[in-house]
Amino acid sequence: MEIVVCVKPVPDAETRLRAAADGKTLDAEGVKFVLAGYDESAVEQALLLKESIPGSKVHAIAYGPAPRTEEVLRAAIALGCDQATWVDAAGDSSGDPVTAARALAGVLAGVPRDLVLLGKQAGDDESGIVPAALGQLLGVPDFSCVVDLRWDPAGTRFRFQRPVETGVESWAVPTPLVIGLQQAWNDPRTAKLPAILKSRKAPIGRTTPASASAHSLPEKFELPPPRTGARLIEYKTPQEAAEKLVRVLREEAKVFP
Amino acid sequence: MTGPTVVVGEVADGHLTGPTLEAIGVARALGRPTVGFVAGAHARSAGPEFARYGVLEVYVADDARLDSAPGGARVGPLREVLASTGASVVLAGGTTNGRELVGRIAIAWDAAAATGVTELAAVEDGVRVRRPIFGGRATESRRLTGERQAIALRPHAFPSPAESPGTPHLHEVSPGALPAPLAAAERTGVAPTVRGAGPGLTDASIVVSGGRGLRGPENFHLVEELAAALGAAVGASRAVTDAGWRPTSFQVGQTGRAVSPQLYVAVGISGAIQHIVGMISSRVIVAINSDASAPIFKVADYGVVGDLFQIVPALTAEVRRVRGL
Ligand SMILES: Cc1cc2nc3c(=O)[nH]c(=O)nc-3n(C[C@H](O)[C@H](O)[C@H](O)COP(=O)(O)OP(=O)(O)OC[C@H]3O[C@@H](n4cnc5c(N)ncnc54)[C@H](O)[C@@H]3O)c2cc1C
Ligand SMILES: Nc1ncnc2c1ncn2[C@@H]1O[C@H](COP(=O)(O)O)[C@@H](O)[C@H]1O
Repeated sequence: MEIVVCVKPVPDAETRLRAAADGKTLDAEGVKFVLAGYDESAVEQALLLKESIPGSKVHAIAYGPAPRTEEVLRAAIALGCDQATWVDAAGDSSGDPVTAARALAGVLAGVPRDLVLLGKQAGDDESGIVPAALGQLLGVPDFSCVVDLRWDPAGTRFRFQRPVETGVESWAVPTPLVIGLQQAWNDPRTAKLPAILKSRKAPIGRTTPASASAHSLPEKFELPPPRTGARLIEYKTPQEAAEKLVRVLREEAKVFP
Repeated sequence: MTGPTVVVGEVADGHLTGPTLEAIGVARALGRPTVGFVAGAHARSAGPEFARYGVLEVYVADDARLDSAPGGARVGPLREVLASTGASVVLAGGTTNGRELVGRIAIAWDAAAATGVTELAAVEDGVRVRRPIFGGRATESRRLTGERQAIALRPHAFPSPAESPGTPHLHEVSPGALPAPLAAAERTGVAPTVRGAGPGLTDASIVVSGGRGLRGPENFHLVEELAAALGAAVGASRAVTDAGWRPTSFQVGQTGRAVSPQLYVAVGISGAIQHIVGMISSRVIVAINSDASAPIFKVADYGVVGDLFQIVPALTAEVRRVRGL
């Protein structure tokens, strides 16, 4: 099974977010970029499949600028991916997921791939656009919000579920296909030190996409006004606390009738 | 640049869903002609529904195959509608299917795309959108340029429109043959969402979550009773799901679900950053915790410092009383 996993370098969860000097995007100065969230789960899922299907390979692909993109690809290799390709985003500062999807598809079209695995949404822009755009670009079915992904060797198809607003769908789909994973493991594997050291020297393929002009451009990056801390309800009895809280929620916050 | 806006409708139990109504309201506010599009079995029944909200031109691909085929099967008929109406904007509700459709149409129709949108305005060169990012820890404004835009809204971000009844004109769209790769995918079943007694976690307008402060699974009913009184979904911290008090599907946070309800009530939850990122974009946050220095009080709007075993039952009783339950 040829498995491709697409990962996006995103700021570490502890990052203190700030706007860049032009006020349009995140200030990336000093920010640590990592493999995180659903992408970390997508890698874990790819490796679990590789371990269960003999003869499988996992190829990690990322679109982004230097040096962060190479760093997350090395992290993916340290975790157990066999191969990595960096699609250089030099010159594209749009942060547009459609542009990313087109650049990724340019590489994907030319590599062996039975399954393309992605996160259902990226940890930073949370668009959920790339998996569906890739399906369309590659002419294969795409599904996001996927959980419980299994290979059914007898049926030579993937079986999975998709909990959507209207219910939980079950699917059986032959390869090739694109999956945006919703399943998150609380304890995805962590890389061992020898593997991390080895990944530093691993070869990473690099390609430059055909230049495309993005149709979605950042104009403003804003932080919400700092939360000033909770207004504490003063009370003498639990009943009084309950009455006061319900009153402010109805009359002041207007969150229920 | 000023062609009509096409609203992609979703139907459940014979009615347009809440997210679709929100999209209709936004489309009407854009001030351009609005047309509706629905695909699937009984798509025609959505005609009068659209018309109730003032959308009279309704395109229907009434074909049951579209319900059980991968979402990509809807791209063909929708493209036909976009072409024949000369549309500029496609609007979808903030659902999984809506977001996916936007990703596909961005390619199939060569459109600028954005999802999770909470504000939107037509500008000279396209559409300006605003959307929360980083789990609500920041917001970005983007300009979608060019002649075509595909946009999915964020659920609950816009009100449903007022009714403005009229008589619909139905236009039939033929879905044609399914592309072979899509036809090979088989939907083997669909089970109604297990909602417990209340709404689903990610689309609920109120969420009540419990943490380790509840001390054990035998006390989790306190959270569930408050949620039932509020008509809320039930969530949990990872301490609770790791301990197996509740399944991981209840977990809110970095490695669980991100929720953004109108009201989030955190009961016996300390407020670790990994929990916060999953609920910080809630409109109003209430914390109940015995430790006045718990970090949850820094992000909450209202707090009750006290013993949850006393406060929560009193709160449940009070909510029941005011709601006449
Ligand atoms: C990589 C990673 C990912 C993670 N992802 C998540 C995630 O997705 N979601 C998540 O929630 N966590 C996540 N965590 C765990 C997180 O760091 C915290 O450990 C967890 O959120 C703590 O859960 P808690 O608040 O229920 O428990 P605690 O931190 O133990 O807090 C319990 C609270 O209950 C209060 N309390 C005790 N008794 C009472 C009482 N009688 N009345 C009122 N209050 C009382 C205490 O004062 C305390 O504040 C993650 C951690 C890591 C490292
Ligand atoms: N620049 C990128 N490079 C590689 N994969 C990406 C990139 N952007 C998005 N993806 C993948 O697409 C998923 C959804 O991203 P998005 O549509 O931006 O929310 C992510 O979880 C990644 O798996």
